[in-house]
Amino acid sequence: MSGEKKSMLTLIDIHKSFGSVKALKGISAEIKEGELITFVGPSGCGKTTLLRIIGGLTKPDSGDVVLDGWAINDLTPDKRGTQMCFQNYALFPHLTVAGNVGYGPEVKKWDKKRIKERVVELLHLVHLDGLGDRYIEKLSGGQQQRVALARALALEPKVLLLDEPLSNLDASLRVQMRATLHEIQKRVNITTIFVTHDQHEAMSISDRLIVMKDGKVEQVGRPIEIYEKPKNEFIAGFVGYINIFQGVVKSLDKETERAVFSTEVGNLEVLINGNDIKQGQKLFLVVRPETIRISSSRGSLGISEFKGIIKSAMYEGSIVKYTVDIEGKEIIIDQFDPINQGIHGTGEKCTVVFPHKVHILKR
Amino acid sequence: MAEATTLSRPESVGQKIKNYFGAHIISNTGGLLFLILAIFLLWPLSSVLIKSIVGPEGLTLSYYKEFVTHSYYYRSLYNSLLLGVMTAALCTSVGFCIAYLTTRGPTWLRTPLKVISFLPLVAPPYIFALSLIILLGRNGVITNALNLNWSIYGFSGCVISQTLAFLPLSYMMIENTLISLNPNLEDSAANLGASESKILRSIIIPLLAPGFLKAALIVFVMAMAEFGNVALLAGRVPFLAPDTYTMIIGEADFHMASVLSMFLILPCAIIFIIQNYLIKGKGYTTILGKPVAAEPRRIGRLILIPFLVVAFIASGLVLLTLVVVGVGSFMKVVGIDNTFTLSGILDANANQSLINSVKISLLAGLFGAVLGVVLAYVIVRGKFRGRDILEGLSLSGIALPGTVIGVGYILAFNKPPFLLTGTVAILVICSVFRHLAVGEEAGITKLHQLSIEVEEASLNLGASAVTTFKRVVLPIIFPAVIYGFIYVLMRAMIGLSSMIFLVRPGYPLAAIFIFDAASFGQLGVACATTLKLMMIEAACLFLLFISSKWMGLSITKKGSVA
Repeated sequence: MSGEKKSMLTLIDIHKSFGSVKALKGISAEIKEGELITFVGPSGCGKTTLLRIIGGLTKPDSGDVVLDGWAINDLTPDKRGTQMCFQNYALFPHLTVAGNVGYGPEVKKWDKKRIKERVVELLHLVHLDGLGDRYIEKLSGGQQQRVALARALALEPKVLLLDEPLSNLDASLRVQMRATLHEIQKRVNITTIFVTHDQHEAMSISDRLIVMKDGKVEQVGRPIEIYEKPKNEFIAGFVGYINIFQGVVKSLDKETERAVFSTEVGNLEVLINGNDIKQGQKLFLVVRPETIRISSSRGSLGISEFKGIIKSAMYEGSIVKYTVDIEGKEIIIDQFDPINQGIHGTGEKCTVVFPHKVHILKR
Repeated sequence: MAEATTLSRPESVGQKIKNYFGAHIISNTGGLLFLILAIFLLWPLSSVLIKSIVGPEGLTLSYYKEFVTHSYYYRSLYNSLLLGVMTAALCTSVGFCIAYLTTRGPTWLRTPLKVISFLPLVAPPYIFALSLIILLGRNGVITNALNLNWSIYGFSGCVISQTLAFLPLSYMMIENTLISLNPNLEDSAANLGASESKILRSIIIPLLAPGFLKAALIVFVMAMAEFGNVALLAGRVPFLAPDTYTMIIGEADFHMASVLSMFLILPCAIIFIIQNYLIKGKGYTTILGKPVAAEPRRIGRLILIPFLVVAFIASGLVLLTLVVVGVGSFMKVVGIDNTFTLSGILDANANQSLINSVKISLLAGLFGAVLGVVLAYVIVRGKFRGRDILEGLSLSGIALPGTVIGVGYILAFNKPPFLLTGTVAILVICSVFRHLAVGEEAGITKLHQLSIEVEEASLNLGASAVTTFKRVVLPIIFPAVIYGFIYVLMRAMIGLSSMIFLVRPGYPLAAIFIFDAASFGQLGVACATTLKLMMIEAACLFLLFISSKWMGLSITKKGSVA
């Protein structure tokens, strides 16, 4: 998709320790022009440290940061062409919105008229038209966040760095701001690195994700790749609920592209989906809760169908989250549309239907 | 359920009284504390006011008239104010340079600079006057070496010694202010291309100005009313605090001393009002932020070099002072007779004065800590009206100039029913009420951290208010008790300005012994006693450090269980 685009930022084998703690253990990555890429991972995975290294706020122990063809390791933050947006926005509380947004141009000694025009333009971009004279404390969280964005964009940096920009907003505003942020980023077409620990946020906003854990990159890919084809159990579990089964390939049918696995719950028939698997091979099957269906107990069972007992049913509005016991193994199932599908009660017997499309994981 | 309550056994009268006091124990303690504070703070203060407006023929303003008509008096007010302003300005500037370096400067420099800046905390403030006399007095080491026809006595000497004496305080306050600023603000500005001086001018100074101003005002109030340095170095220049002392000791003119005291309080009161009503709430609430493990920014040379120069001069002078006093302790009269001697260290009178001071201070520390913590408890947990007054009154001890308290105590306690002048008790009492505020404030802070539910749980389980206080509250606020104890102890050891009025002939105290020795040119013994005093102070500080670490740990453990 973005294959023809030129590379904007390259990270080469970056290491960083804080005392005896190794925060980053050799990170390499490439970020393309105009791309929105997200560093995502559990807290302590090193994502913020990596962002600060790119922004020049932290020095790496070794490794190179290359921006637009130039090694920028030894440059101070203001000389790099990167601009950091902090988690707490770090807006200047004693200045107005216009004062904040115009701070960079003013430092660069632009003439007054040009600063004014630029501020108006930027406030329009972030949908804050006419609020230039307000003081920061008079703004809502979402507005403050957009002022921070406008301030960071004022000097047209090559790369925008966003450190958990939405984490200070409440849940519904966060979803709304996600869309706004995405829209602005595409409109300005600025290369953006976004850091978050929220996998939903990461998946919905990014062109590509870099999933990190313990100072290392676990997987790089588009959100759909990460969700549907996670490289390992950690990633599979990090981007959503999973059911994981241990299976041995019992039979293979190359023509219909199907394989039958013998698992702890019984036989599962799944699509091979291009995976290179052999008879008798031990593999793992990752099944997402929303792909499993649940229905009232039936007499006869088809392929990949099992009898189960409902252990718990949690009603969440748009879905019901079931825990179902099949042969002593508990699996999680998301059933959509409870209005039409109805809700099964705890202790009820049911039939569970597994999908053919599951993710096959080698360990 | 309703039946059960009606079936409770009838109570005896004694039980009823006991219950009444049990239920109202906090309010009753509050009342008692108010009475105590009224006697030992409000009454002395009122005595000063009354003495200044009541003459032999009743109410009169003649003493104030005398003050404004005699140039000597109002010059002394003018000098004191000017001294306060200059000290505040210098302390704030120098403190800012040092604090800037210890919070944003090169990492290797931070700890040494911090340690040196805090060193004077273990020294009595008049140590700087002492070392200036040794170096630049009429027979000073430098004065004689360069054959100068000039000496440090006078206004400039006072400014230098005061600046050095109040530097730790202003440094500490300014550093706290600088730490409170979210470092991301500066990072953002730097990221947008702002230079160090631009960050200073456009971010740090405008945002933290209220904090700096507050630090400056506190130094102003304290420096204006300070006694020791000024009394030793003023020479012929009149200042309020030493003049008040002379009025009483030399001329026994209590009316005029009271008028001078009123002028010492006045700026103090004005500043207090400014602080509480004008500065309060002017800060920006949004500047609070969690400190991020930021690497130091590279400070531009234009800022770094001047800041380093200022910091090095100030810390150099601090170190020089300590060295001078240290060396001086082992010489007969430094600069004049440099022969090695242990007579200063072994001086029997000096040692007796030190022992007396330790005794007084231990007692004061003990009472101060207990009173402070009880006050804190009553103020935080009490539900009666007038708690603000109780808090304000108890904190006033630390805000009032020592000289004024000294005068107040002489006036208030020289006749029945409170005939205390000349006793050892008055020395202890005065120290307690001057310094208990710090422990009290620590207790208030600790108590605010302790949720009321914890105490309610104890009461709910059947414990009485007293048991709850002993078993639940006390263990948690114990660090505040220790802190209060050591603070009062340390301050009482070096306290000069109020004690000098109250000390009994034949019962010397170390601070006054040093003051007298320095005044009479017995520099060797003055240095030696100061040295020993500092060692005791340092030991106290070390104890405080150890105990707070130990207590801090035990408290967090308890906290995590709950």
